[in-house]
Amino acid sequence: MWELVARSLEASTIFLFAALGELIDQRSGVLNVGLEGLMLFGGTAAFITAQTTGSHALGFLAGLALGGLLGLGHGFFSITLRGDQVVSGMGLWILSFGLTTYLGSPYTGPLGLGRIPSLWGLSPFFPLGVALVAITWLLLFRTGLGLAIRSAGENPAAAEASGIPVTSIRFLCVTLGGMLAGLSGATYTLSYNPVWNYNFLMGWGFVSLALVFFSMWNPWILLAGASLFGIMWQLSLSPELILPGVLSRYVWRTVPFAITIPILCIISTPWFRTRWGLAKPEALGRPYAKG
Amino acid sequence: MRLGRYELTLEPRPAPPAIFTALTAVVAILLALALSSFLFLSSHTRLIDAYRAVFSYAFFNPHGVLATVHRSIYLLFCTYAFLVPFRAGLWNIGLPGQVYAGGLAAFAVPFVLRAHDPQTLPLPPGLLIVLMIAAAAAAGAATGGFAGVLRAKLQVNEILVTMMLNSILFWLVAYMIKEGGPFMSATGEGESFGLPSSLHAPLLLGVPVTAALALGVAVLLDLLFAKTALGYRIRAFGENPAAARYGGIIPVALSLLVFLLGGAFAALAGYHYFAAVPGVYKIPGNYGYYGDLGFYGIIAALIARGSSLGAVPIVVLFAGLSVGARFAQGELRLPFGVDYALLGLLMMTFVASHVLYHFRFAWRRIPSEALQSVPTELPEG
Amino acid sequence: MSPPDLAPTEPILAARGITKRFPGVLALDHVDLEIQAGEIHAVLGQNGAGKTTLMNILFGLLQPDEGALYLREQRIRFRSPHDALARGIGMVHQTRRLVSAHTVLENIVLGHPRTRGFLNLRGARLEVEALCNRYGFTVPLGARVWQLSEGERQWVEILKALYRGARILILDEPTAALTPPEVKTLLAGLQTLVRDHGVTVLLVTHKLPIVMAVSHRVTVLRSGRVVARLRTADAAEEVLVQHMIGRDIAFRTTNRSAEMGRPLLQVEQLSAFNDKGLLALRGVSFSLREGEVLGVAGVTGNGQEELAQVLAGLRPAASGRVRLDGRDVTRLSPLQRWRMGVGYVPAERIEVASIAAFSLVENTALNYHFDPAFIRRGLLDNAALEQLTRRIVTTYNVKAPSQYARARHLSGGNLQKLILGRVLSRNPRLLIAHLPTQGLDVEAAAFVRATLVEATAEGAAVLLISEDLDEILTLSDWVAPIYEGRFGAIIPRTEADAETVGAMMAGLGMKEAGVR
Repeated sequence: MWELVARSLEASTIFLFAALGELIDQRSGVLNVGLEGLMLFGGTAAFITAQTTGSHALGFLAGLALGGLLGLGHGFFSITLRGDQVVSGMGLWILSFGLTTYLGSPYTGPLGLGRIPSLWGLSPFFPLGVALVAITWLLLFRTGLGLAIRSAGENPAAAEASGIPVTSIRFLCVTLGGMLAGLSGATYTLSYNPVWNYNFLMGWGFVSLALVFFSMWNPWILLAGASLFGIMWQLSLSPELILPGVLSRYVWRTVPFAITIPILCIISTPWFRTRWGLAKPEALGRPYAKG
Repeated sequence: MRLGRYELTLEPRPAPPAIFTALTAVVAILLALALSSFLFLSSHTRLIDAYRAVFSYAFFNPHGVLATVHRSIYLLFCTYAFLVPFRAGLWNIGLPGQVYAGGLAAFAVPFVLRAHDPQTLPLPPGLLIVLMIAAAAAAGAATGGFAGVLRAKLQVNEILVTMMLNSILFWLVAYMIKEGGPFMSATGEGESFGLPSSLHAPLLLGVPVTAALALGVAVLLDLLFAKTALGYRIRAFGENPAAARYGGIIPVALSLLVFLLGGAFAALAGYHYFAAVPGVYKIPGNYGYYGDLGFYGIIAALIARGSSLGAVPIVVLFAGLSVGARFAQGELRLPFGVDYALLGLLMMTFVASHVLYHFRFAWRRIPSEALQSVPTELPEG
Repeated sequence: MSPPDLAPTEPILAARGITKRFPGVLALDHVDLEIQAGEIHAVLGQNGAGKTTLMNILFGLLQPDEGALYLREQRIRFRSPHDALARGIGMVHQTRRLVSAHTVLENIVLGHPRTRGFLNLRGARLEVEALCNRYGFTVPLGARVWQLSEGERQWVEILKALYRGARILILDEPTAALTPPEVKTLLAGLQTLVRDHGVTVLLVTHKLPIVMAVSHRVTVLRSGRVVARLRTADAAEEVLVQHMIGRDIAFRTTNRSAEMGRPLLQVEQLSAFNDKGLLALRGVSFSLREGEVLGVAGVTGNGQEELAQVLAGLRPAASGRVRLDGRDVTRLSPLQRWRMGVGYVPAERIEVASIAAFSLVENTALNYHFDPAFIRRGLLDNAALEQLTRRIVTTYNVKAPSQYARARHLSGGNLQKLILGRVLSRNPRLLIAHLPTQGLDVEAAAFVRATLVEATAEGAAVLLISEDLDEILTLSDWVAPIYEGRFGAIIPRTEADAETVGAMMAGLGMKEAGVR
């Protein structure tokens, strides 16, 4: 039982890292729907690096770096050029999906390195994730930089008029967000499931994106949501632990995705929006033009 | 970016001339092809051999040409599936899911009517084929329409919903065709039963009827957007939903309509691949590969800038490239996934060409006082 | 009050030879501006004269193409507002630059150098409170900005600038969204700041009475050039108008003799929610006859938009009823209302009333795509649409390169004329015009007003919603001041005066006035 819980929490961590990055992104007003692409690229880079150098640490660094780089690319298109953030995000995703399939395919198979040491069976990434949640919360709500980030996402014109460099703040956030997405992918390929496979994520990134909307842009609620989805994900992989012999295992695999849709609907109802909707960054997805 | 006393800036182009639209599409594709040479280079093959292998198989080898045609039909339907909602400003990335829905519904017709067995056809085969196509289109429309309704009624993000539906339908197909699922073939595991030969889609000049359908739709869609009131409404809604609503257009009906259409087109792609391509006539175990190929439809529609006829040559080229690349991969021992790499490169060059379409680089001289530092002190208060 | 020494001393802030070009437009042409310490300096000009561009340059939001700024005769360059703020220049923009989801205190400390690292909101609160006491402000620091009135928000912005150490305050159209009593308070407050605390104020406006009331000196801008520099005491109102406009212009459209037609529209106890789910329109009742104009006067955000949208069918009514020709239309769709002759000119020309990427012809189709007369064999009749567009362009004097130019290339005035022409070409029986002249230059505004009068002569009933009291009093047969979603009264034009209506726009005297 503990094994299942530990495994679920590790799965949660992957959702959490990616979603936390996206949350910071969105708080500054930038939407990155290509989250899955960043994770794919980060994960693949980490896997290839770790396998060729034999070092987990270098692998994680590669994942962080590539995620950050792609985040910067998204920033260039959506902040500097004020392009459509959805076009740029979807572009990143298809780019990553296509290129990682090719670049990773010679490495298809297990990583072949020792497992990352665990703490009483629990992956060390989970406590790291919780720490990151706390840090993000402190950053956003208890520091001047956080106030600047939130203001850039709510009303960039107001922030700029107060002397906040909105463009730099947003670039900082997309880069940070990209690095966290890369870390998330690296955690997947180096620790959670160290086997490279074609399109190995199959929707983790999109679920993470949905989690950000569920969280009402609050890191603590995000932690709860990610944990819940981690458990659900793990159960959908091994339903026999709860309901042996009921329905095909393939049907259970649809559950995390199927549950996402009604939750998305509930948070979109007018009732929910008027009650809780104030948390949504006002300028989310809108490019900002100075002057 | 600064270099000495000069600054490199991106400036918006005032109004790009019309010819630019076509030109950027060509440039994007050529650029992607040029970049893809790096893929071939990296695997110790002579570049010219690689390209020759790709193109001669795709467009001159009899087997290759047929494969290119089949894939073109498939990709054309996927392109329309993305294009129609996109003209209304909505993102249908549920192409794989809708393809699967179409395949499942098409195979459900003979399954429910117990027509797997050619000896006991309950209805005339022609009627059954029409039923299969209708069922596929209806299932795809329902899958797409679901996302459309949620978008229109509750503003639920259609990208997330269609993506979730992709995963759901992917596993549903697995359930149906694998491990004792209802559609599992009697012989092997992991694929569906084969269609009896009487239910194979009829061929015209060696090409399935779906080809005529795909080309007909290409003409009709461009006409729809350019000339009809409905097309106008879709475009108006895509450009400015608030203005469309002001002009009396009903957002719910429109979002639903474009997603119904989009879903139906994707499902026809599914019907085509699983029930009309000679040599297939079943849902194979690697159906995920075909589903993901549907994403080419997104890039084709984007590069064609929403024109269905404009997408035809682009799609034929993509289909040929992906068929040829798959062949060259075996022939020249290239790594798996050259076709997907091309997809990624195309997306990258499309975004880059998009930038060059709207912006140009300009050198500006930095005014001299900007280089001095100014003392920072508060005036007396 | 006595103006400070106006002898040409060293200016505290000066702009010399400022030129700024935007694609296709010369916004500022070698502009010189000098501001003395401790004065209220007005920059007067029409919309489009370049006032806002100049202020944005003074505040570092834009960089001049030529020319330079001087602070105490030292050449200086502001690369961003940050630089300007660091040198004691604060700006209060025309549209509020406050984060409405944040508290007043958070807004005030945002961007302050002291917010580096961890936020010390408790310490900041003490400082801001001290500042409030010094200047005699009362601002609820803990409240969220969206809960405040427009007048309070303005004070938050001023306080914020002062907290940043601003000694020079730039105010861009500060009275735009204020009620008359709020304007009075603001002007008195500014005078106190200048007199008692040595602050310098740069006031940017197109409203002459404000310039006359408080400024010491005035610089007049026209089409990006300085056309006059005067001491206010020496300037006559008519002279300033001439400088601003460039020639004499008849301000008032001719009064018309209204012949009232049959009753057309009855609105009973109409209420509606806004986008936040709050009741924004609270039980409004009125009736309107053919050929009549009802002027709804109020500061934006008091339920006018909801009223217009409910009448146009774009927003559901929470309660109440709308009758057109005696028929209940409360639940009809926008399309059905267009067909019944309801025409709507929304306030948001670019966001709602037009499609920037479409040509003029395609924009015309926005009100015709459902009209059987413009559909032939299932296709939109492009020839007919083109002909109609040509007619609108000539009749309404729309300056456009061609019918196939994109709407985004039209100026605000031309776009508005196109929209108005398009809506009127449907011969509406009821015309809802929301802020029809906002942001237009004097000529275009006069043209739009004349067009509205013409429409009534042809029997249309007009619901005119405006912030401009003069416009309302000139055009309307009935005047209805609106405040917090309620009409203060419905007053016949002959009995309406600026004083009473202005007071009711501010929510005063609602009880005494009778409601028709």
